[in-house]
Amino acid sequence: MGSSRSDYWNPFVETLPRQKLRRIQIRNFRKIFSYAKEHSALYGEKYRGIDPGDVKSVEDIRRIPIVDKEDLRGAQDGREPFPFGNLLGVPPGEISTFRQTSGTTGTPVYVPESWESWQWRVEVWCHILWMAGFRETDRVFIPFGYNVYVAFWEGHYAAEKLGCTVIPGGALDTKGRLNKIREVKATALLNTPTYGLHLAETARSMGLSSREMGIRRILCAGEPLPDATRKRLEESWAAEVYDHIGGTEPCAWAAMCGERKGLHIMEPFFLVEILDMETLSREVNEGELGIAVVTPLGRRSFPLIRFNTKDVVRKGKGDCACGRTSMMIQGVVGRADDLRKIRGVLFTPVSVEEVLREEFPQVTEYEIIVQRRGIMDEISLKAELREEMGDSVLKDLVKRISERLKMKTNLRFLVAPVKPGALPRYTLKSKRFRDLREMRGGEAE
Amino acid sequence: MSGKNTRLLTEMDARIKGIENLAGELKDLGKGIPVIEKNARCILSFVFALKFGISDVVDLETGGDNQWEKQ
Repeated sequence: MGSSRSDYWNPFVETLPRQKLRRIQIRNFRKIFSYAKEHSALYGEKYRGIDPGDVKSVEDIRRIPIVDKEDLRGAQDGREPFPFGNLLGVPPGEISTFRQTSGTTGTPVYVPESWESWQWRVEVWCHILWMAGFRETDRVFIPFGYNVYVAFWEGHYAAEKLGCTVIPGGALDTKGRLNKIREVKATALLNTPTYGLHLAETARSMGLSSREMGIRRILCAGEPLPDATRKRLEESWAAEVYDHIGGTEPCAWAAMCGERKGLHIMEPFFLVEILDMETLSREVNEGELGIAVVTPLGRRSFPLIRFNTKDVVRKGKGDCACGRTSMMIQGVVGRADDLRKIRGVLFTPVSVEEVLREEFPQVTEYEIIVQRRGIMDEISLKAELREEMGDSVLKDLVKRISERLKMKTNLRFLVAPVKPGALPRYTLKSKRFRDLREMRGGEAE
Repeated sequence: MSGKNTRLLTEMDARIKGIENLAGELKDLGKGIPVIEKNARCILSFVFALKFGISDVVDLETGGDNQWEKQ
């Protein structure tokens, strides 16, 4: 072991040879699969005829049908015990709390947690925070009212368990939060990338420098974090910025270590398969894009078996300099729901974010709109400027943005600059992409 | 894994299982007494997390199989 033991939350598991990790995963998969079949009506029905004793390898696991969000919705759908329905894996009296999905793609899914299952999630987050360098000496400010959304609750509980001092920042506006960060001398933040940038922008408008506020590290949640945005956040705050990926249903399942070169899958808490996007039947190769299918291996109150997260990720190597042996992903490309064919070209909104955040600091916010004009798709970008600028400078900027986007996406964008403050700011999930083609009346006038 | 680590893990695993047994017994003894039942349940939840991180590794080395306590 090249590093010291205290570099890892659990030095035994995090440096275990891969074959051994795999064996633990398969054994725990068998246990949770058996448990789910026995205790949850959804799985009892769906997996009737599959004997858990026959699950002895990853190939066996791959033959088990995948579960997606529609299955979860169908299993709840007003059924008793309300609102968890056929998904519940423990008696209702065991439930300590529940969280729910944001409902961006349909009816929210209600995710019940027993104390045990909640602590299991918190334990996963302890690994994540420790990997990102959070320690007992940190004062962690969380600038949100968390409501029923899970990530910040997990971060809150895990930071407490680590021994950090946690300051919840709900019930304040953005200026109030900035003042609180200064008042308590916070050293770390948990926030969405969008809100991290907005906080820095607001600080500037207050005549403050976010770089001088003493924030040393930021863990982002809730949205994809392309490298360009991560770097812009690092510059804005003079802090190390870390990414993770997860969701309300499966929990956070991959996160960055101090190397910040890709994300470690949180093995052996999860079995994560990165499968080809067309058939979801083949594990992709290193460097290839795939969809993450995730099985949390220790959540009994809400068992999930081979859950299709619809997260599109690029599979990475497993040889990180930090010494952890877990499988890695190079990065998160976006959601399968957000992948669109526009004029025959496969497009993901993250590609626009990469260009704007990396090359155009003059643009603080943006919005992408796709609509149909006659028989043609049209894609436009509203680019909000940091400050007003003269006509010729503006014209040149629009031209350069348009050229760079064409090179990056192979699509010709109509770029429309808008005044500072014209676009909405989001605290939680930002909504910067609208495909009006799917809506009735979505054609351009 | 070095012999030293294996010995350490085995020792820790024994303590984890010891705590699990004691907490389970306490929960049974205090059946119907909220202060005992609820706190014992919390202890068992932390034990569950420790079994994931420690006992699973030991069982792999020793051929054992850490069983899940019934909810």
